Amino acid sequence: MSFVEELVPHLPEWLGRQRWFGAKGREVSAVDVMSATSLTDTEPLLDLLVLAVSFADGGPAQHYQLLLGRRQEAPGELEHVTIGRVDGLCAYDALWDHTASAWLLEAVRAGRTIGPVRFVPEAGATLAPPGFGRVMGAEQSNTSVVFGERTIMKLFRRLNPGVNPDLELHRALRSVGSNEVAALQGAVEGALGGEPTTLAMLQDFAGNSADGWAMALASVRDLFAEADLRADEVGGDFAGEAARIGETVAVVHAELAAALGTVERDPAELAAACSARLDAAARDAPILLPYVDAVRAAYDAVAGLPEPILAHRVHGDLHLGQLLRTTHGWLILDFEGEPSAPLRERSRPDSPMRDIAAMLRSFDYAAFFQLLSSDPGAFADDRTGSSPLRWHAKEWAARNRDAFCDGYAARAGLDPRRHRPVLRAFELDKAVYEVVYETRSRPGWVPIPLSSIKQLTAGATSGSAAG
Amino acid sequence: MSRPLHTQVEQAVTADGRVVETSSDDYGHARTLGVDHDWFKRAVFYEVLVRAFADSNRDGTGDLRGLTEKLDYIKWLGVDCLWLPPFYDSPLRDGGYDIRDFRTVLPEFGTVDDFVVLLDEAHKRGIRVITDLVMNHTSDSHVWFEESRRNPDGPYGDFYVWSDDDTRYSDARIIFVDTEQSNWTYDPVRGQFFWHRFFSHQPDLNYDNPAVTDAMIDVLRFWLDIGIDGFRLDAVPYLFEREGTNCENLPETHAFLKRCRKVMEDEYPGRVLLAEANQWPADVVEYYGDPEVGGDECQMAFHFPLMPRIFMAVRRENRFPISEILAQTPPIPSGCQWGIFLRNHDELTLEMVSDEERDYMYTEYAKDPRMKANIGIRRRLAPLLDNDRNQLELFTALLLSLPGSPVLYYGDEIGMGDNIWAGDRDGVRSPMQWTPDRNAGFSASDPGRLYLPIIMDALYGYQAVNVEAQLNSTTSLLHWNRRMIEIRKRHHAFGLGEYRELGGTNPTVLAYMRTHGDDPATSDTVLCVNNMSRFPQPVELDLSAWQGGVPHELTGGVQFPAIGELPYLLTLPGHGFYWFAITPAGLDQKP
Repeated sequence: MSFVEELVPHLPEWLGRQRWFGAKGREVSAVDVMSATSLTDTEPLLDLLVLAVSFADGGPAQHYQLLLGRRQEAPGELEHVTIGRVDGLCAYDALWDHTASAWLLEAVRAGRTIGPVRFVPEAGATLAPPGFGRVMGAEQSNTSVVFGERTIMKLFRRLNPGVNPDLELHRALRSVGSNEVAALQGAVEGALGGEPTTLAMLQDFAGNSADGWAMALASVRDLFAEADLRADEVGGDFAGEAARIGETVAVVHAELAAALGTVERDPAELAAACSARLDAAARDAPILLPYVDAVRAAYDAVAGLPEPILAHRVHGDLHLGQLLRTTHGWLILDFEGEPSAPLRERSRPDSPMRDIAAMLRSFDYAAFFQLLSSDPGAFADDRTGSSPLRWHAKEWAARNRDAFCDGYAARAGLDPRRHRPVLRAFELDKAVYEVVYETRSRPGWVPIPLSSIKQLTAGATSGSAAG
Repeated sequence: MSRPLHTQVEQAVTADGRVVETSSDDYGHARTLGVDHDWFKRAVFYEVLVRAFADSNRDGTGDLRGLTEKLDYIKWLGVDCLWLPPFYDSPLRDGGYDIRDFRTVLPEFGTVDDFVVLLDEAHKRGIRVITDLVMNHTSDSHVWFEESRRNPDGPYGDFYVWSDDDTRYSDARIIFVDTEQSNWTYDPVRGQFFWHRFFSHQPDLNYDNPAVTDAMIDVLRFWLDIGIDGFRLDAVPYLFEREGTNCENLPETHAFLKRCRKVMEDEYPGRVLLAEANQWPADVVEYYGDPEVGGDECQMAFHFPLMPRIFMAVRRENRFPISEILAQTPPIPSGCQWGIFLRNHDELTLEMVSDEERDYMYTEYAKDPRMKANIGIRRRLAPLLDNDRNQLELFTALLLSLPGSPVLYYGDEIGMGDNIWAGDRDGVRSPMQWTPDRNAGFSASDPGRLYLPIIMDALYGYQAVNVEAQLNSTTSLLHWNRRMIEIRKRHHAFGLGEYRELGGTNPTVLAYMRTHGDDPATSDTVLCVNNMSRFPQPVELDLSAWQGGVPHELTGGVQFPAIGELPYLLTLPGHGFYWFAITPAGLDQKP
């Protein structure tokens, strides 16, 4: 383990520079290598390391995986991912190494097991032909490598013990032949603290696609540029796509229910959880205080519902950015659930209304994000309601929220707008979370969720046109 | 010499009731261009209506001699091949698609001899000529039909599809829903019903009769002998009928096309067949024939659904309407090519869009109900785009760079307007506007004699929009079109190259790479980036497969930064586009 010992001193500084490192700004007290699995014995040497990062503030340790490559000399294209020299070799983050990425793909294809690390192809998997992969934009919690425009491998950087819900749900959706997600083709699984843990997953790559957020913003901009046309009259109208998104979500909900079953949940318990989050949120974001009573009343309305609430596994963190428009329709991505919630909670069946409410919030966000970009003073109190752009933003959000519900209802046979108390409570739950999030990271955006809370608690708003 | 107008040329009939067909030996033959099996893949086509282009004899109607006089202009524009809609003798109840005699020119257009001169002069300039041939049906005044009605047992008795009742082939749809109630019409002379997929004055030929297939192949030979470079086969899916089918795209139809192609390959190599099959691409590819041999039916077919989707993509400000239809377009045999167009003599066809999309197109592009005809929109390109120069340029850049050979429509190169008050589809068939003089320089006749009025309105009228004025201004649309055609012809990737869409994070930007050849020293790679939005847009393109390559912008030759490891960032103005040639790494010509 000499190379590991030499590596450790490099890690705190190197980790701090990585985009996916989730504890920037916190003082790292120690980085320990919990396990190191040697994958190859010829150059480039590949080792899969699991790191435990401890913090000076005494908070719980975080776990990260590092696929380490070592060569005598790193070629120029690996310079930017070099960690340092250890044991006479140059050590680097191996995802960018073409030989290493090609090796990973073949390991999955062959279904290899090396120590605790298992490379698992799905039954009947179709993978890209042998060849190296290219690293795509690095995300906050994972890094993706694309092979031959056919297969994408998502490597989870930060590890939590247990099977990642993203893998679990994609596997379930594959079992029912879903066309609404990028088909799962394989996974890399290891162990953390004795529990089987997902390290990476491989899916079909959706080439030539664009995410729903970018497409929605193009539509909002198109409407904003019109002086006198209505949302249903402009060329960039998004309602057709919004309806198709609604259909797609409905189909995936049916598939999840079919694959993993349904349960009933107690409305009072769901309402209590919302209520607890509200209390915590009001402490973190006192701007919520004037609304707490009205919001709680909405939760109480759910608590008092006579019937239990149908629940099954849901996406859990649905928004326009998780939807991909391909040349064959919409795909839903990233079933990891709300990343800040504990894994156990993310894996619980929840009401499908949770995802629907999240999508309705996302349509609001698209409209009002573009509004704030175009007119930073749009929410100034003295201009409330007077700005033509603000009127357009409300109009766009209302039209597309309705179209989404229409599409959902057409496929599900259940119109979400007919379950107003639950939908309203979940929208509020989401908006309350958003206020806290924006207060911390983007104070200028707080008016977006806050104005929605205002609308939703004003009493007279309809479930379909909250904007 | 004066010619009678709209009178049928007498055709002799022998004692046993056979029509004496004229022979190509009765006419001169035009010089031919060298055999080239790929010419149609690189060519820029130009659809011109003989009636509408130039009038040489002051009768108010364009003619073959007039067109011949304008060949220098067509050559200057950069056109490689003329496509002439039918100029055959016809009662003109369907714009000449109702042919009365396959071997005679419509008298008001001239004579077969005039056509020989046109063909010879065109070939002299390196321009090829193809024409429409209607295989499916004839006019009801064709002598074959008259014989067939009169003499059911004679040599033509079985030339058409006759039936005692109107119940057969009931699964076939009615195409001209605006005017026809049935595909059968009763003929009181013969006392039977005849079959027609189009108008009731256009009886379908009976392709189950070997005498019909032989007669039609002899029609092909007649024009090929004279020197024509190919045919656009009109309404090709409907040749045969079979009970229990929709009577479209039947195997028998394909077998007949293979036979036509074999005749062409054996006797007239290098000539082309272009299928007009208004169907989905997955069905149209059947008309290319066997991919194993590079295609053995038509070498070309029109890609119908692409055109309305170009309009839709720009209107919706996102690339997916185009991306989707190209993703659904199957590969075609190696010896084949799509024909693509923005506008032609027919209405903007909306058969190939879904109902929801059709409503949308109507709303967006046909604000006046008169602009709608059958299932389409009858407008020219410039009025469809509100005469917006940026959009005209973007649309033309798409036409010239998407996979396929571009077909321009006469007059669109100067941004001509239309006349929505003219009947049927005549709104987009008004006389070519050459000069600001009387009759727009189209004809020296009395203005009242013109077959259709010249466009006179303030925006598109001939005094504002004409060839002469645009020739005199190098910033005109005409000069711009000519320059773009010339650039296209410098890069064989446009005509011969593979098409690969690049995606990109911005859904309003359509980017694709056209590449031809594997050898880096001789290969040609062109990057096309198009902004479907009216607003400026950034786009990051994954060009890592071309890392180290250097883009040169094609209209100005300016060298752009080399392609590195990171996504390539470009910014585009509203409705802007770029064409870049990519010089591979190591081949850049630095001093």
